[in-house]
Amino acid sequence: MKAIKKYSWKKVFAQLLLLGLPTVALAVYMLWDVNQFYNILRNDYIKQSIFFASGLGAATVFYGYRFRFLPTAVILFAGLYFAYQYINRTAFGEFDTFFITIQFFIFCILFSIGWLAGYGFSRSRYFTVFWAVFLLSAQIVIVSKITDIKATTLINAFIPIMAYAVYIIYTAELIRNMNDDDKFFGWFLVKRMLGFAVVLALMLLGVVNIFQRDFAGIEKEWGNAKGNYDKNKSNSENMTKENKDGTIGNKDQTKLTGNLNKGKRLVFVARLDNFFRDGKTPNPLYFTAYYYTRFDTLTQTFEIDPQMPENDLFRPNPSKIPLYFAKTDSTVIKNTRATKSRKVVTTDVYKVLLSPDEYIAPATAFFCQPLPVPNEYKDQFKSAYRAKMWVSDLNSAYFIYNPAGNQMLEEFQQQRFDVLRSIKTQDYTPLDKKFMQYYTYMPNDEEYAKIRSLAAEITKDAKTPVDKMIAIRNYFLGKDEFGQPLFKYSDNPGIPGLPSANKLTYFLLENRKGYCAYFAGATLFLLRSLGIPSRVAAGFLTVDRSSKNPGWYWFYEDQAHAWVQVYFPGYGWVDFDTTVPDANTQQSPQPDGTPPLNMQQAYLVADGNVVSVDTVTKKVVMDVNQLLYHDESYAVKNPERVEFDASVATVSRDTGTVRLSALTKDMHITAASFAEALKELKPGSNDSMRSILKKVPNPVPVDEIKIIDPEAEAKQKKKEQAIQTQPVDWMNVLWLTLIVIGGLALLVIITPYLIWQYLYAKAKGAKDPSAKAYSSYRAALYYTNQLGYSRTNQSPEQFARHIDQSFGTGFVPFSRIYQKLKYSGMPLTATEQETVNSFIVPFVKNVREKIPFKTRFSRFVNIYNTIQYFQQPKIG
Amino acid sequence: MEQIIQIDEALANIDKLVNNIERVIRGKHRQIQFVLTALLAKGHVLMEDNPGTGKTVMAKTLAQSIASRHSEHGVNFKRIQFTPDLLPMDLLGSHIYDEDQKEFIFKKGPLFCNVLLADEINRASPKVQSALLECMAENQITIGETTFPLEKLFFTIATQNPVEMEGTYPLPAAQLDRFYIKLTFGYVDEDTELDIYKDYLGIQNNLQHIEQVLSMEEILFLQEEASKVYVHDEIIATARNIVWDTRRHPDITLGASTRSGITLLKCLKAYALVKGRTFVTEDDLQQLVGPVLDHRLIYRNRDAKHKALPSILDKELSRLSKLKLQATV
Repeated sequence: MKAIKKYSWKKVFAQLLLLGLPTVALAVYMLWDVNQFYNILRNDYIKQSIFFASGLGAATVFYGYRFRFLPTAVILFAGLYFAYQYINRTAFGEFDTFFITIQFFIFCILFSIGWLAGYGFSRSRYFTVFWAVFLLSAQIVIVSKITDIKATTLINAFIPIMAYAVYIIYTAELIRNMNDDDKFFGWFLVKRMLGFAVVLALMLLGVVNIFQRDFAGIEKEWGNAKGNYDKNKSNSENMTKENKDGTIGNKDQTKLTGNLNKGKRLVFVARLDNFFRDGKTPNPLYFTAYYYTRFDTLTQTFEIDPQMPENDLFRPNPSKIPLYFAKTDSTVIKNTRATKSRKVVTTDVYKVLLSPDEYIAPATAFFCQPLPVPNEYKDQFKSAYRAKMWVSDLNSAYFIYNPAGNQMLEEFQQQRFDVLRSIKTQDYTPLDKKFMQYYTYMPNDEEYAKIRSLAAEITKDAKTPVDKMIAIRNYFLGKDEFGQPLFKYSDNPGIPGLPSANKLTYFLLENRKGYCAYFAGATLFLLRSLGIPSRVAAGFLTVDRSSKNPGWYWFYEDQAHAWVQVYFPGYGWVDFDTTVPDANTQQSPQPDGTPPLNMQQAYLVADGNVVSVDTVTKKVVMDVNQLLYHDESYAVKNPERVEFDASVATVSRDTGTVRLSALTKDMHITAASFAEALKELKPGSNDSMRSILKKVPNPVPVDEIKIIDPEAEAKQKKKEQAIQTQPVDWMNVLWLTLIVIGGLALLVIITPYLIWQYLYAKAKGAKDPSAKAYSSYRAALYYTNQLGYSRTNQSPEQFARHIDQSFGTGFVPFSRIYQKLKYSGMPLTATEQETVNSFIVPFVKNVREKIPFKTRFSRFVNIYNTIQYFQQPKIG
Repeated sequence: MEQIIQIDEALANIDKLVNNIERVIRGKHRQIQFVLTALLAKGHVLMEDNPGTGKTVMAKTLAQSIASRHSEHGVNFKRIQFTPDLLPMDLLGSHIYDEDQKEFIFKKGPLFCNVLLADEINRASPKVQSALLECMAENQITIGETTFPLEKLFFTIATQNPVEMEGTYPLPAAQLDRFYIKLTFGYVDEDTELDIYKDYLGIQNNLQHIEQVLSMEEILFLQEEASKVYVHDEIIATARNIVWDTRRHPDITLGASTRSGITLLKCLKAYALVKGRTFVTEDDLQQLVGPVLDHRLIYRNRDAKHKALPSILDKELSRLSKLKLQATV
């Protein structure tokens, strides 16, 4: 143990400042992170960092004096160990023992790590590499404890470590290679560090900026979609999504996961005007929100495709339509291509938790008319609308329920199957090719081939498409050899969350447990493999539980559902549900609420913008754009200014009832009047809006004012969604990166050759003797330099002689002539000019012959030679 | 401006001299050229190396090649062996009382000559050293009230042993500055050494019979011709750059003076002529910067002594080698 003289306080100081401080900073950060996961550390990260820092600092200074590492470290660690043993033995009392020994143990560990780090920084060259790897592994362990992985988590966890790793390796090497005799030691370090910081900052910012979108994608992939964020389980799924404001809607995509979360809250209530032929027995229909026509095999997700052929999805936003005004889309009806057994059915939907923006109705809806909620129900229901649908007679929620006992239902089932049996497989052939291809598409790989063969086996006895469908349903309802149900309903099928596993085949062939999305998805591909066009529908299943109020249905969160729709030419899309009943069904709370029955008839509805509001006299002046009067619609180009008496009016917006003072200038509102006084004032056939407004009492009493909030917010939301769903083609990114890197590498490799070709061409092409001499000399110098014969420290004469000795060229005479030309101020003689003119070509030829191609090639590729050629040598 | 140099005649004279010296000194072609350079640049030369490497023989041979003991055309050659107890008057001369004339007459010392060999100059006391060096700088001797001019051709070849050896008084930088060129001799290569051993009798014989080959007029003619050698502006600029770089270099505590820059240019001209050219090139720079400038600089450490000047020189040579000069064709 002797101290060798080479101690340098400058280096030790630089190590402490530039290596030690950042390391301690990182240690604080990591310890803080660790403290959140390990109770044993008792959340005292500042103290722990000081332990670490003291070990680091002490070792850096100590080993700066060139002490030997092994003996000193062994003595130190042995000392710590025995001290620990001693404390362990002497400390008594349960609390004492725990507290002191654990504290001391942590101190020992951290101090030792710090000590090792300090030694490494000051003495061991490769230490920084190990150290960086060590910290990175430690951070991976910490991150693996975090269950809710988000993009920010990853960035926060790894960016500092990465930056630190690069920094520490670079800086340690820099300090090691410094000559501390240098006067400018400090300044030199500062310059290098600044440059490094700028480069690192630019790179990191660039990476984070460019890939932020991709990070968000990863976040979506790993940590469940936004708004459906589940705090306890990462591999779970909801059939509904909960918006920020607490309302609920159907998700616009459904993923197959290992877990389904369900709630029991009331979502909406609906009156459906659909009865069987007897006119008494209600025929419930499933309420559809979306159609999933596409299945992303990579993420195992069902997705909406706005480009689906014959788009028959009507999606208005009820909160943006003025009260009583209707929005209709007749193309939807055309696109159903259903002519047989169809009728128009009406439903009134009263929303409770369902988002005001959502529109949900049985297939195929084409009409939406927002209605006011009657005053006495305003607490219970937020908003309401009326929807009209082009409904198939053959459609019914009674498909899965066993109609046993109910003669009429059994008959109905039989009847509708008989009708559908008239559709044969060949009836699909005249259909549009694109349509058929789209709705019978399935991925073409081994996993799906298994589904295909299973489908063929199940339906081998069935002739018509509907029989095949029934066969599939029966397969799901079938029993195994022990009499147990083959398939079970389970919210927690425990299907592996690996993205590569094909969850559908796993479900169909092995696990046979799942929730509705699995049954629907499996049925979809079974059908498609048989060439029957089908799609998945998402929405709410309808259960008829009310004998008191026929036609009224209550919808709870756990009724969110997915099922299959099958296309029959002429009859259109028909719902089929193959999900098996849940063996341990927990009954939803029985609907005990009274339905909002007394809907009032509005005689006058005005839609327009607020001009002024008087909250004292309760008068509202507005510019009316459109008017409904006794169900007649009137619209004008120039808004009409009308005064309304709002003394009895209820003011509401999507979120519920508000005060009159909530109205502000230019707000878009709809005012409705139920006033009896208007009942008798029937409009004439040639009345205009102006004449009607003259007829009615002034001010007009209104009962209902609905605020229509501007769409800016909705647009914003849409934009966010658009950004989120933009797919990143990773292969393209990869190829592009490879091409760019390859291009750059190629450029670097051929640069020396290109420069040489340029110089050589110039040397050969020069006419003027002086230019010829100059460019020949330059070319020769470059060529020999590139081949590893650099002129460094040699005069032209010496260099020329050296080259001549190696290659037997006539460089010396040429060099002399060139020197003469350069410095003598005298013209060349004829023979000298001849020498100059006939120099470069034989010279290059000679050199080329002496060096084998392989050597020449490898040296020419070396860009460092080129850099060295162009670099001005530094004094030093 | 253009001065015609009688290059053929000059070259013939130089060759004669070099060949004559090489009869005795083997394998020291470079050193001979440097010594001639100093002679033609009207400067002085200092040779430093271990004893027995041929310094003295070199000086003697050169002197005898141009000196004559008989002819009036020959130069006058003196040799002084410097010792610690040597006094300045031993060099300069002294007043002696003349019995016949009854007055003091001045007896000229050995400094009144054309070629002086000052052997082992660093063994003498500083007093003597400075007396000699003053003569070299001023080309005159002042004793009492009388000033005696030295000869038109006054060339000093000084030798010294390496500074570290015992019994030496190292020359201060200001005095080293008086020498245009400082040479180190070094040992000859193995083959040459073998030649010398085989032929040592012949060499000794040659030394004793060295003949005068050049007259005083011819030397003066060569000096005249050397001053006419053409120096390109870019070379002058390079000399300036080198001098400046020595002042800026972090490892050099004392850089070159302006006088040393002028000296460098003088030597470059002379060296070009010795090399048989009428113009100065990069080669001359590369060869001369070390011998001319090295002994004037004070380095921070020994490492710098080996690296600083070559790196400065290489930087300038690299610049020159890529420089495109407009030829006056």
